[in-house]
Parts: sequence; C-alpha cells; structure tokens
Amino acid sequence: MSQFLPYFILFPLAGLVLCFLLAGKNEKVVFGISISVVALHILGLATFTIAWLAGGMPTVYFKGPVLYETHDSHFSINFYFDQITAVYGIVAALLSFLVMIFSRYYMHREKGYKRFFNNVLFFFFGLNVVLFSGNFESLFIGWEILGVTSFFLIAYYRDRYLPVKNALKVVSLYRLADAALLIGIWLSHHTFERNITFVELQDKAMLQSHFAVAPTFAFLIAGVFLLAAMVKSAQWPFSSWLPRAMEGPTTSSAIFYGSLSVHIGVFLLLRTFPIWEESVGFKSMVIGLGLLTSLVATFTARVQSSVKTQIAYASIAQIGLMFIEIALGWHSLALVHFACNAFLRSYQLLVSPSVLSYLIHDQFFTFNIPQHNFPNNLWGKLRMTVYMLSIKEWNLDAFMVRFLWNPLKKAGRVARFISSRAVVFIFIPIFIIGFYLVYNREVIPAGSLDYLPTAMAIIGIVLALKGFTERGKAQLAWSLVIMNQLFSALSIGLNEEFEHLQIILFLSGIVVSGVIGFWCLLRLEQLGESVKLDRFHGHSFNHPRITFVFMVAALSLSGFPITPTFIGEDLLLGKIDEHQFALLGFSALSLIMDGLVVFRIYARLFLGPNQQGYHEVAYRSS
Amino acid sequence: MKTQQIIALGPTHLSKASRFDEAHLLQELKHMLPTQTPLKDFIHHNSLHAFQSLKFYDAIFKASKIFGYKVTFNLAEYRELFKIGRIRSDILEMILKDQKGPTDCEHWKHKLLHADYIETNPPRIGRLRDHWKSAYHLDLDNLVHPLLFRILGSYLDQGVALWHFPFENKGLLQAIRAMENNSFVSFFKTKRAKKLLFDTAHCTIPHLLDQIVGDESLYVQYLFDQQFAHRGWSGMAATLEDHPEAVLYPKKIELRELIIFELLLEIDALESTLGKGWEPLSQKLKAIKPVDTFADVLHTELQDLYQIWQNAFEWSYYDEVLAGLQQLKNSPQPKRDMTQFQAIFCIDEREDSLRRHLESTDLHCETLGCPGFFGVEFYFQPESGKFYEKLCPAPVTPKYLIKEFAAPCHRDKEWLYHKSTHTLLRGFLGTLSLGLVAALKLFLTIFRPKMSPAISNAFAHMNLDGQMTIENKSLQNRENGLQIGFTVDEMAARVEGLLRGIGMIKDFAPLVYVVAHGSSSANNPHHGAHDCGACSGRPGAVNARVFSFMANHLKVREILASKGLDIPLETQFVGALHDTAADEIAFYDDSILSAKNAAAHQKNQGTFERALDLNAKERSRRFASIDTTTDLHKVRKAIRRRSVSLFEPRPELGHGTNALCFVGHRSLTKGLFFDRRAFMNSYDYRTDPEGKLLLNVIRPLPVVCGGINLEYYFSRMDNYKLGAGTKLPHNVMGLLGVANSSDGDLRPGLPLQMIEVHDPVRLLLLVEHYPEVILATIQSQPEVYEWFIHEWVHLVAIHPVNNECFYFKAGQFMPYFPLAKQVNLISDMNHFIETANGMTTNHIVDATLENLPVHLLPNLSKI
Repeated sequence: MSQFLPYFILFPLAGLVLCFLLAGKNEKVVFGISISVVALHILGLATFTIAWLAGGMPTVYFKGPVLYETHDSHFSINFYFDQITAVYGIVAALLSFLVMIFSRYYMHREKGYKRFFNNVLFFFFGLNVVLFSGNFESLFIGWEILGVTSFFLIAYYRDRYLPVKNALKVVSLYRLADAALLIGIWLSHHTFERNITFVELQDKAMLQSHFAVAPTFAFLIAGVFLLAAMVKSAQWPFSSWLPRAMEGPTTSSAIFYGSLSVHIGVFLLLRTFPIWEESVGFKSMVIGLGLLTSLVATFTARVQSSVKTQIAYASIAQIGLMFIEIALGWHSLALVHFACNAFLRSYQLLVSPSVLSYLIHDQFFTFNIPQHNFPNNLWGKLRMTVYMLSIKEWNLDAFMVRFLWNPLKKAGRVARFISSRAVVFIFIPIFIIGFYLVYNREVIPAGSLDYLPTAMAIIGIVLALKGFTERGKAQLAWSLVIMNQLFSALSIGLNEEFEHLQIILFLSGIVVSGVIGFWCLLRLEQLGESVKLDRFHGHSFNHPRITFVFMVAALSLSGFPITPTFIGEDLLLGKIDEHQFALLGFSALSLIMDGLVVFRIYARLFLGPNQQGYHEVAYRSS
Repeated sequence: MKTQQIIALGPTHLSKASRFDEAHLLQELKHMLPTQTPLKDFIHHNSLHAFQSLKFYDAIFKASKIFGYKVTFNLAEYRELFKIGRIRSDILEMILKDQKGPTDCEHWKHKLLHADYIETNPPRIGRLRDHWKSAYHLDLDNLVHPLLFRILGSYLDQGVALWHFPFENKGLLQAIRAMENNSFVSFFKTKRAKKLLFDTAHCTIPHLLDQIVGDESLYVQYLFDQQFAHRGWSGMAATLEDHPEAVLYPKKIELRELIIFELLLEIDALESTLGKGWEPLSQKLKAIKPVDTFADVLHTELQDLYQIWQNAFEWSYYDEVLAGLQQLKNSPQPKRDMTQFQAIFCIDEREDSLRRHLESTDLHCETLGCPGFFGVEFYFQPESGKFYEKLCPAPVTPKYLIKEFAAPCHRDKEWLYHKSTHTLLRGFLGTLSLGLVAALKLFLTIFRPKMSPAISNAFAHMNLDGQMTIENKSLQNRENGLQIGFTVDEMAARVEGLLRGIGMIKDFAPLVYVVAHGSSSANNPHHGAHDCGACSGRPGAVNARVFSFMANHLKVREILASKGLDIPLETQFVGALHDTAADEIAFYDDSILSAKNAAAHQKNQGTFERALDLNAKERSRRFASIDTTTDLHKVRKAIRRRSVSLFEPRPELGHGTNALCFVGHRSLTKGLFFDRRAFMNSYDYRTDPEGKLLLNVIRPLPVVCGGINLEYYFSRMDNYKLGAGTKLPHNVMGLLGVANSSDGDLRPGLPLQMIEVHDPVRLLLLVEHYPEVILATIQSQPEVYEWFIHEWVHLVAIHPVNNECFYFKAGQFMPYFPLAKQVNLISDMNHFIETANGMTTNHIVDATLENLPVHLLPNLSKI
C-alpha cells in the first residue's frame, strides 16, 4: 500500500508542470487541467483512505529516494500516512477542489488568471509534500513551497503597494519559521545522531533514552518546532500577519489564510507531539500560549469593523483552542475542530461580500441603538482598556515592527560603511585569505581556529544586513547576498572537515542563480530602467519576462528547493557541532537574512505601482 | 495659439492666500473629496463633480495634473483603436479640421499617429508631505494610517464589530477624550500628543499645523496632501457629516475633527520616532519650495492630442447613431392598427432590449419610457421596518410616507453569518456544529446555486401580498413630519404630470403595464448600483404599484377627465417589477383586473415571458458561463442561476456601455438596434409644440443619466484612482464601503467588473424638437445649461420635420451631416447575437469589439 504514497505528491507536481507548460492564456485550458488534477487527486485519496480504513488504519510509511548520503549525513525523501495525514489531506483536497471551481468564473478575465491557478496548484503540491512527508527534511521542502506560494498569492495584485508590503511582511515572518524548522532539524540530528523519521518518533522508549542524555535538547527541539508552528498558525505574538495576508482575491484568502495555510502549525504540533508528550512543563506552556492567543484574538475579533479581519481573528482564536486540545492529548477533537474551522472560515470568507446587504437588511428591521456599557468604575476602566487594546490589535503589529524589523534596520545602518569599493577592497581579500586557510589549516594559530568560523559567519551577516538596508543599486545588494552565502560556506569550511561535493552542491545553485540574477539587473539598466532600491518600481508591468527569470534566480539564491543549494544548505548546517550554538545562530540568521534581502530586491524592483508612462497607477493606500 | 492657453479657472486658489482660513479650507476639501455615500444606497454621480464649472477637457486635464488621474486613454491605446477601425479615419479628419483648421491637418495627423511624447504624469498632490521622507526618512502614512483607519472605521462602523465604539454620539474627539480618560492604556505613544488632545485651546487645526508644518502659507497644501492620501475615508467622513441620514446607525462625525485627530497622530508618530526636538516640516524644506498643488495648469500639445483622439473616439460612435436615425426616418414605418397593451418602462438603457423584444413578440404593443420612480416621490416603510426608504431621485426630498401593512413578516436567517461564530466559546461550539454545514453549503452554492437570505433579492423589497397606505385618509394623518399617503388631488397631479410628459394622452390600450426594475445579486456590495437610479438605488416596485393604484383610482380619473385627459374606463394599470439580473418579472395587484383584461393579461404574461427569453439570450452573449447558442430556456435558466451564484462577480453588467439618451417618440428609435446603450425617455413634441413640458423632461437627465455616464467614464479610464479596482480582493468595512487589505483606504467608484464592457464616451442626449425650442429650454435653467455648454454631455436636436441633426456647440445649434452613409441591416437576430464578437481581454482595444455598432432591424415582424 505504501508504494502509492509518492503519487499523492507526484500527481499535483505533474499537474503543475503540465498547466505551466501547456496551458496558454486560455482560461478553459488552465481551469481544465487544474481541476482535473485535483479531482483525480481526491479520487485517489478517497480510494486509498477507504482501503486504509478497511485495513485498520495502520501507519503507512514509504522510504523514498535518497538524495545524498555519507557516513554521517543522510538526506532522503520519505512519505508517511496516518490519521493526521488522512484528515488534513482530505480536507485540503476537498477545499481546494471547491474553491477552484468557485474561482473558475470568479477569476474570469482577471489579469493573471493562469498565475493564480498555477500558484494554487503549486501551493497544493507544497501542502501535500508537508502532509505526506515522512521526515523533517521532506517536510521542510513543502514548508518552503508554502512560504513562497504565500508570498505570490498575497502579492497577487502586484501593482498595488499594500499587497506587496504585506507579502514582504508575511514572508519575512515565515522565514523565521523556516529557520526555526531548520534549527529543529539540526537539533534532532545531534540528539538522535541521525536524520530521524516520523515512524521513529513513535518509539517512545527510543525518544526517552535520548532525551535522558540531553534534556535541554529535548526542550529545545520541541521549542523550535513550537515556534515554527506558532508563526504559521498566527499564534500570539505573531497573530497580526494573518489579516494582512488577505490581500489576494477572496477565494485565495479563503482557502489559504482562512483554512489550509493557517492550520499548518496545528499539523506540525500534532506531528511533533511525541517529542514533548512527556513534558508537563512544555504542555503547560503550549496550553498557556493557546489560551493567551485565544483570548487576545477573540477580543480583537470582537472590535473589528473589517469583515475579513474579523474572520481572521476569530479563526486564530479557534486555532489557539486547538493548541490546547493537542497539549491535552485530545487529538481527534483537534482534528475535527480543524476540519470544521477550515470549512466554516472558508465559507465565511467566500461570502464575506454578502455581509453588507445581509446585515443592513437585517438591521433595517431589528436595529436598536446599542447602549454603552462602560461604567465609571474600575470594571468599566478595565473593559475600556481591553477595548482600546483590541482596537490596537494588542500592539502585536507594532511588536513585530519593534522587535523584528527595526533591529534589523538598525543593525543594517551600522553596516553603512560598506560600499561596492569596500566589497572589492576589504571583503573579497578577506574571503580569499579565508579560502586559502581552508586548504592550509596548519597556518592558523591553534586558538583562533575556534573563533574563525563564527567570525566569518558574522562577516556574512554584516554584509547581508547591509544588503537589507541598501537603498542604492540592486547589484550591490545582490552581490552582498552572494557574498554572504560564500562567507557562510567559508565559515563551515573552516569549521570542520568537509567533503567537496557538499560545498559544490551548496555553491552550484548560488553561482548559477547569482549570475542569472545579475544579468537581469544589468539588462534592466540597459533598457533604461532604474534599479535603485529606494522605492518600488513595478518593473513587472513593462518587463514580465525579466521578472520571471529574476524570480527564479532569486528563489534559488535564497535556498528554495529548486537547485542543489537547498540540499547543501541542510548538509552544511549538519556540520555545525552540537555545542556551537553561536555559529548555529549566526548561520540560521544568515539564512533568514538572505531570504529577506532577496525578496526585498525582487519586490522593490519588480512589484508595486509602476509610475512610468500614462496608465492607471494605484494609490499608495490601496 | 491654443497651446499657450492657461487653464486658470476652477477651484479657488486656496494655497495662494497667506492667511489660513479654516472654514474655507474645509468647504473646499469637502467639495473635492469623493461624495459617494455608504454602499447601502448607490447614487451615481460625476466623479469629477468638483471641476464641473470648467469646460470638460480643461477640467479633466486639470484634475489629472493635480491628482494624477488618468482621464483619457494614452496615445498607444488610441493609435491601436485607430488601427482596428474603432476610431474612424474620416471622423478623425473631421475633428482635426474642426479643431486645427483645414491647413495644418497633415502635420497634426503625423503627430497623432507617430510622434513620441513623454506621457508620464506625476501628480502634484502629496508632494509637500513627501518631504517627510526626504528630510527624515520617515513614512508618515505607514505610521499613522493603520491606526487612524481602524479607529475611524470602528467609530463609523454600522454593525460588523460585536463591541461597538463607545461614545460615538459625542463626536470623534470627545469620544476619544472620554476613552483616554477612562482607560489604563492610550492610543498615543507620547505624552505630547495626549496632552494636546486635552488642551482644548490648542487642539485646533492651526495650532497643530503650526507644530507640524510651521509655515502658514503651506497649511492648505499640507492638509490637501494629508486628506487625499486617504480620500476614501475622508470622503466618507465628509459625506456623513453632511448626510447623517445616509446610514441607519447615526454617527456624529466632522471632517474637522478627523483632521485634528490625524494631526495629533502625526505629532505622536513624529515625536515617538524622532524623539523630542524635531523641527516642523517647513524648517526642513530649505530652498526648495514645493509646487503649489492648485497652481495653473499649462495647456500642452499632448493634451490637444488626447482631446482630438477622444473626440474622434466619441464621434466615431455618435456619427453612426445619427446616420442610423436618418436612415430609419427615411424608411417606411409599419403602421399599427390597434394597441393590445402599453408598457411604461424606466428610461434605463437596460430596458432597451426588453422593449425591443416585447415589440417584436407582440406587434400590437407599445412601449414608453420615463424615469423609473414614475413621478411619485415618497418614503416607504415596509411592514415592521424601523426606517424609511426614499423612493425617488436622490436630490428630491419627499413629503409623503407610504407604509406597508398586513404583510407577513417572516425573514429567514443565515446562521453561518451569525456573529457568535466570532466569539471564543460560542464560536467553539458554533465551529464544531456549523463547520460541516458550511462544507455542505459551499458544495451547494457551487453546484446548486439558489436564492438565500444572504442574497439581495429585488423582489423581496416589497411584499407581494402586503397592502399599502397609498391614499391619504385625513390630512392629520402624519408621521415624523411626513404626510401618510397622497390626497386624491395630489395623486391626480402626479398621474397627469407623468402621462403628459411622455405624451400619453390618448389612444390608451386596455392594459397599461408600469414596469419598474431592480436587480438581484449575490455576494455583491455594489448591488445598489444595479438597482434603479431614479429610486435612490433601490428597486422601483413600490413606485410602479403606487402609480398604478393612483391611475386606476376612479376619483383621479374624474379629475383627469375634467382636465381633458380622458382615460377610458376599461383601461387598467398594472404595476410590475423586472429583475434586470435574473430576467424575471412579477406583476402586482392583477386581481383587480376586469374579466376581459384578466384574460388579455394572461396572454400578455406569455408575451413578457417570451420577450424575457429573448432578452436573456441577447444578454448572455457577454457572459462566459453561458452558451448563447443553446436552447432558449436553458439560457434563461442559466441567467437566473447567475443572479444567485455567489461565485459570479458579474450577475449583470449594470449601466456598462451606456452612451445615448433619447428624448422623443418611440418611432424615432423603434427599428434600430442600439445594443442596450440608450436611455430612452418618451416625449412627443406634437403634444408640446412650445416646449412647456420639455424642461421638466430634460432637467433630471443630465444629473441622472449624465451622472451615471460620467461615473462610468472615469471609473473606466482610471479604475485604480477613480474606480474601486477589481472586486475580488474587496473587504467590507463597517458596512459602509469596501477597501483593499485590512489597512487600506475605502475605495469609492465602480469596480472593474462593472466597467470593463464600457466604452468611455460622454453621453449624447438626443431630443426630438425644434432646435430653437430646445435652446430656449436649456437656457432657462443655468444648472441644466452648464452640463451642455461645458460639454460634459453632448446634445443633438433632431428636427421633427426635416429630420436634420443639429449639434449644440458653443451656445448654438449647428447642422451636422453624418459621414456614415448607412448602417448595416440585421437579417437574422438569432444569428446576429450568436455570432457577435466577444472580448478576449478587458483591455479597451479588445473590449470595445464586444460593443456592436448601430444596426437597422428591417422588419419587426420577422424577428
């Protein structure tokens, strides 16, 4: 039975490729391919599930291809099917199917009809990778795809300012979750001394024997997975991204942010439950966070005057409850709760435009002017405080700005001294020296070998920070990302013996995509367009092809699983020793930064309103 | 030379005054901001109403320069339209000769077709306030807008939030003061802003501006920049200040207070990011003095080209219309012996096709048109309704109230919308219990769409079985200052006014249908824009019913007879409602019909059904989801399904493509195919040779039809800035309007899905009468005359005797001879509709191909 599992991934992928390559602009063809893929997927999944139910709901596991293997590292694609996969898989497929049909005429004549369906298929593929994955490495691939497709779906209306701004905001936060997941993989790699699979996670004795040795790691592993789950499921304090993600067509908001995408954190928590099952302290923490989220979100939902935002917060509140249910071990309830919440919120979002006439009509017959209930005493004052905090979304958005973006921007200002001259005259020489040292370790004084890798990683981050705040030419920022990647490789190279193949894997994608991206920037300049990063240029308006090529280059430069760099990334991270938390931290930060800089360059140059010529230009406030 | 001319008229030169005059500024701001009321009622109006005192082109180019609007197509688009033949070359030459003289034509033609120009059009608005970015690297909009919109949205919210904003009856500032006083937290981050809020002596616009801007001569410009950075919300606040009755849940709001609050938030943002001691903006400007927003706009050669192109675009269509009219006049008209029934429709251009199909289905019927409130103006209160609804054109303030009674008042609920699903514990139970219901519902809405409480239903506006207080029993019978019902005299006056206006004074058929219209649509915040504009954006069913009651009233008949308007006793009026989205019709009070009329009515209902079938087919050619060539009944069913489909953003296309407005007898247009682009107001010059009634007929047309037309024009030309953009991402805010994103500005104007079929041409008003009579009529009212003399609406007189056309220009009527010699004939209507062009994309060059040219219907009996 297990041999069928890969098809649930390969099939959507084939559909995506087919739709991308075959369908022209013809709406019927685009829709036809998309819907057939999902319909057949549902059929397959239903048949499989029935067989699985008849077989007594065994855990199904399939060991897929090994992408890379050496004595200490192992990267393979594994598949897995249990009741969590079953419920998530079926709800996801059904919702995707229904929403796709809904979109058929809804999206009619929209610029980017094909882009929309391609993205939905891509998302569907990524989601199934996550749901069917049998180990963290495979799950991470799907996880990355979800992040990237989210960016494209939020910034679907790419010639307006707010969608682009919010897409950047959300994707930066997702990047944090990605890094958390990577660190989780690293931690479990060191804890279990191998790449662990979800089947192995079911072995409680094995888990406990390892955790007994390293109790801190046990807590940390669970902690980073929880962090990743909290980000993706918009739990406190990360809630404010969810309403801001609802920028695309209502159908995509309904399926992704109303239902599927936002419940992925719940999925991750269910998957990793065995890791923290025995820890009462950790469970209490999850319950506490869930409760806090529920309260904050439900108050916020109560004061919202915007329909979609209200639904978003109402959904977050229910997801908070799901976190509690998982911690209490009520997994079946959590799954039912998930399914119901996903359907209800999708439906509410889809019909949200109706609310205007429905409620006005209702009001016409039933309206009474509401009475104030803020008495002039402590109770009234407390209520008012809650009301005002809820209006301000409990400062959660301000919190993100203050603790995530502003520190990066400030740090970037420190790196202001870096110019293209500095890159050539300071950092390239440093890199060359470092490169020399990798092959001539004997010349390094014994004591400094411990610090050199970290130093190199820090240099990389400083470069990336500069790239993040760069307002001048995009070429500089682009080179800085490449330099950052090189320095990361260097720091790992200095850290431990490595195999050439690993470094080559890592660098191959970077070099190729770096060159392609650079060519795109030069081409734009040749065409007389500005490539300065001081504002949004919206070049996709006039240069859709360059936009696409640059986007692919940007994705692979940021380690998206389309080039071997992705595998290299994972492998290199494995080279960091279990006690080198500083180096790990900097490497992870460097990964986050790469993504941010690359997405920022892409957004600033190619997205946003295009001001050239005489055509419709969107308001900044839209 | 014309190119040297300066567009100097228009809004007073606010910024030039050195002293800051707050009252004047507020007045000007309100004048310029969008005036769209909350979406529950949709009143079409000229989007650039603030510039209406200027000539059309001067106005639009000025508005374009100031606000960055796109007001015409760009050169590439016009050239493409020329290439595909949509702009005719003979017309282009005619316009060129007219505007540039006969000598310079070739030179200009080269410029039009080939010369390169820099067309980039950076707006002036916002430039002063932009200096925060250059001086401090500070994006003030990012810091202020989200909280400002959220507070304002919550303050004005009509009922989305479960907890409503406290103290909203006190005014915005007082409410915020009360909240700040009674809470442990604050909306402000800094003490300075909070202190200013309570310092009522200094919490004024000039004092706050002194701290932020510092230079009094820049105040006006700064405030324009600030308010136009979110014109949607500001416009809503300004509109609600002047029209608090536009919402059900009244809110006390003033634009002045909104500005003060925003200034406080700006101070707060500046203080918290820059720290104490930041300097006002004027200190940072140094030598650069920003361009005055309202400085004169230089007339450029590029504008000349746009103007020529746009005129050619418009006249390429008008010319064929006029050619068609003349050709029709010259062809023999079929003679009708006896009229089976008459039907009075709204002038709405969507009824054009239904009238045509009705006439082709039953050759013995006559159709007429008049504004769809049928001359009866009143407020309506449905059974158990808590409010009154205005059922007449927006500018009219009725003195009458009509109440519905004895109507069953069961209203269905939609549980999935229930607000408690947004709470925590009830939400938990609600989610678990409704989740699977939602899945099922989703399934059904996709595969079996049907009418539900969530869908706005045109027929539900009034109860079919309800009764109404149409006749006033006693003058003491009043409610809230309104007289309940009309007296017999008042009824007679209204019936007479309407009938005389449309020239219906003799030869009454035994049955006269009074057909109002409304529109059912699902998932559509803009549904009001599809209803009847003459009924303040509502279905006109009540008006049709009320008018029929009046016209059937025996005492009314007596009075009319005494005034020479003799309606035969056997003639009966029947009210009806046509749902323009679903293509359904309902008749009201047909139980009163005499046996003979009842039998005829039975037959006529079949005629209406058949006409609606044909109408549905004709409409279906523009809908991707329907195969026009299939069986008529299938098409009709599909049309009905569309109107209740949640996934269908185009239940109908509203006023899209409107371009013409006829005032004249039906014989002027009967036999011509206008592709539903013509408003048609019946009027008979023979019954009004001196034009005494003409003013009353013409007066509402520029405001209503011109308003619709210009709103479509501007929403089509710039759907981003003057329209609402695509509907698909819209988010309903406070039941007031729609916005993009959770932190976006409100977006007034029409959404993309409504305007993509529209060819943006100004309205051409065609009146059948002697030019001198028309001229005297329009000149008698300056506010009517303004529309024509400033060219916001084109006017053509059709001479009743010799059929010649006269175009109104620069204050006089000039003869116009159509360049097109003849229009094409439709030989087979079915074939014609089935093979008509469809657009491939909604770009104008593709979209315009879907709009069919004027055709002649050769023989009505054959169709």
